[in-house]
Amino acid sequence: MNPIALDIRALAKQFGAKVAVNNVSLQVPAGSFYGLVGPNGAGKTTMLSMATGLLRPDAGSALVNGIDIWAEPQAAKRTLGVLADGVRQFDRLTGRQLVTYSGLLRGMEREEVARRTEDLLRVMDLASDGDKLVVDYSAGMTKKISLATAMIHSPKLLVLDEPFEAVDPVSAANIRDILNDYVSFGGTVIVSSHVMDLVQRMCTHVAVIAAGVLKAQGTVDEVRGGKSLEERFVDLVGGRGTNEGLSWLHTS
Amino acid sequence: MVAHILGLKLRLLRNGFKRSVGQLIGVVIGGLYVLGMIVMLALACWFTAEQNPFPGQLSILIGSVAVLGWAVVPPLLTGVDLTLEPSRFVHFGIDPKVLGPALVLAGFISVPALLTILGLLGSAGMWRLQPGVMLLALAANLATAVMAVLLCQYLTIMATALRAKRRFRELTFGLLFLLLVSLGPLLSSVISAAETMSDWIDPISAVLAYTPLGAFNALPGALAAGDFARLGICAVLGAVYLGGLYVLLVRATGAATAAPAPQQRAATARGLGFFKLLPATPVGAVAARALTYWFKDPRYAISILMVPMLPIIFWFAGNQSGSYTMMYFLGPLFGILLGFSISADVSYDNTAFALHVLTGISGAADRAGRAAACFLVGIIPLLLAAVLPAVLSDQLWRLPGDLGLSLAAFLVALGVSSVASARYTYAVALPGENPMKTPPGNGLRMALTQLGTMGTMAVLLIPVAVPFGIGLATQSATLGFLALGIGLVLGLGLLAGGIVLGGKWYEQRAPELFQAVLLNR
Repeated sequence: MNPIALDIRALAKQFGAKVAVNNVSLQVPAGSFYGLVGPNGAGKTTMLSMATGLLRPDAGSALVNGIDIWAEPQAAKRTLGVLADGVRQFDRLTGRQLVTYSGLLRGMEREEVARRTEDLLRVMDLASDGDKLVVDYSAGMTKKISLATAMIHSPKLLVLDEPFEAVDPVSAANIRDILNDYVSFGGTVIVSSHVMDLVQRMCTHVAVIAAGVLKAQGTVDEVRGGKSLEERFVDLVGGRGTNEGLSWLHTS
Repeated sequence: MVAHILGLKLRLLRNGFKRSVGQLIGVVIGGLYVLGMIVMLALACWFTAEQNPFPGQLSILIGSVAVLGWAVVPPLLTGVDLTLEPSRFVHFGIDPKVLGPALVLAGFISVPALLTILGLLGSAGMWRLQPGVMLLALAANLATAVMAVLLCQYLTIMATALRAKRRFRELTFGLLFLLLVSLGPLLSSVISAAETMSDWIDPISAVLAYTPLGAFNALPGALAAGDFARLGICAVLGAVYLGGLYVLLVRATGAATAAPAPQQRAATARGLGFFKLLPATPVGAVAARALTYWFKDPRYAISILMVPMLPIIFWFAGNQSGSYTMMYFLGPLFGILLGFSISADVSYDNTAFALHVLTGISGAADRAGRAAACFLVGIIPLLLAAVLPAVLSDQLWRLPGDLGLSLAAFLVALGVSSVASARYTYAVALPGENPMKTPPGNGLRMALTQLGTMGTMAVLLIPVAVPFGIGLATQSATLGFLALGIGLVLGLGLLAGGIVLGGKWYEQRAPELFQAVLLNR
């Protein structure tokens, strides 16, 4: 087994005059629960899109379990599950049909797909909603069904862009349990998030990215260096305002 | 506050143009085109003033068409620019007494509204021989323009509330489309039945004069004819209609700002549907997904609706001209149009296409699945359209040729579309949007793509069309069989070639395709 589940080598992307991702290199060890944190517009989604084959980088490469995703996309995608952010689903399908579709597209057997679909619907608390059209799902339910489509082929690496956004606390806890279980049996997870607290509790490793540049990477303890991750993050990223702000907001 | 909202609307209009140069050019060209037509019409009204036998009736008709157009087209078909939709102001707590009038006024800040006002004012030129009447006509036309915009706004608010229910939205559009398509033939039958123009223009305009559509524009005619009773009645009616509409509109705006539209009930489907029926392979899965969309997504329904509509239109046309030859071309036409309809498939997927990219499905499987779904949907109507005309008209010698050209057209169109949709995407109505809505400024790119696709299909069909044509001229069944043979070989070959080539392009460009649909362009 390859010791590095996701090897990002000097990825760069520029949109017009704006450098979205500036030569980011990042090694995600196999079996780690990796957090990717950064302010809004830091380039997290752009970087993950390039690492998962959705956006062609200007320079650099990304190796998924040792296979270059831009040189051999089909082979690399076989061991990769992705929850992309801000992407629609085929929402005229029911939840059950959508998960089935995702399995069949990957060339899996019908019986295997059917069994895993029911399992996934059950653990996502969607068993009773499996026959509803995805277009009628709430934001949190859509997130969960998308997660299910990313997991049906039991990938070795899961890349999840904002997986907990809009998900209720109970479902989020269930999803965390599933992911922890997955990691403890050798899987690798990368999550991007804004919630430092969550990343600190959940992840083994973390990378901080701001304005397209990698500010820090390593185990959570290494990166936070005795402080809380949130404090360390603010130090790294900067941009905290002074506390003078809005005196008129004090209502009393 | 009113000034703020008007300023906001102006800013939105300007920023909309800034978004892309192509769009700006599209709007400018489109605007100039319409402006040119309006100037032509105004000039025609001006210079034919001396020969115009019924300016009064014509004025009523012009006004009515303008109001009716505004009442039907934007709320139901193209959709209106809803950036200033009243329900967006729910959170601001602005006094409805101020917000209502402000939004109503803001509705006039749009290119179509300005063009309508210009056009209506221009049509007053037909009264230039009587300056007094022309002054009244100018005022009346302005009032009609106001009526048109207010009616449009009111109906839009009503339609938005109803459209929040998805089922309703999809159903109305279907019915409306049917109605609109059949309207043309129906009207032309009625009009050609009337002997002369005055036979129908008098009664129609007389009725319209008392409706909100034509009340104001009936004024100049009544004044010119010295019919003061009618002048008074229409003036009062117009004022009442406009006043009533204004009150209704302000009230509806207020209601829409107070409470947002309610949510709809969720729809369900039992089991796996087409996924159970088709093979459990990537190709089968894509075909099952596409088939589900053919029946569940109203944007595909346009292509399906065409199947019953085209024969009806052709029959109407044949009914009038006395020749039903058009019916024989239904088969090839279905083939081309149905096959062509998958050329926007990836654009219709929008960002859901990400799933195809992420699963790393092979390009050929993606292409083949989409083509298979369209084939399954289209093959039965296509065969019926190819066989029935020849059988019903008892010209069995036609049968092989008709069948050959129809099948070849369908297969070739599928092949060409499989290549085109792997390379060219264009802005389409988003999933769940009004399917008739085309994003603005998209015309040129879309027209070029469609022209290129259609042109390629036509050229590739020449080897079948030649024996078919000669066979038709000589009434030869042998040449018909030749066309059938060539058609099947050529069609299947080009379909396979299209899937392979399209698949290759797809695999090279899948990420770029995804980025293009992400921007919906």
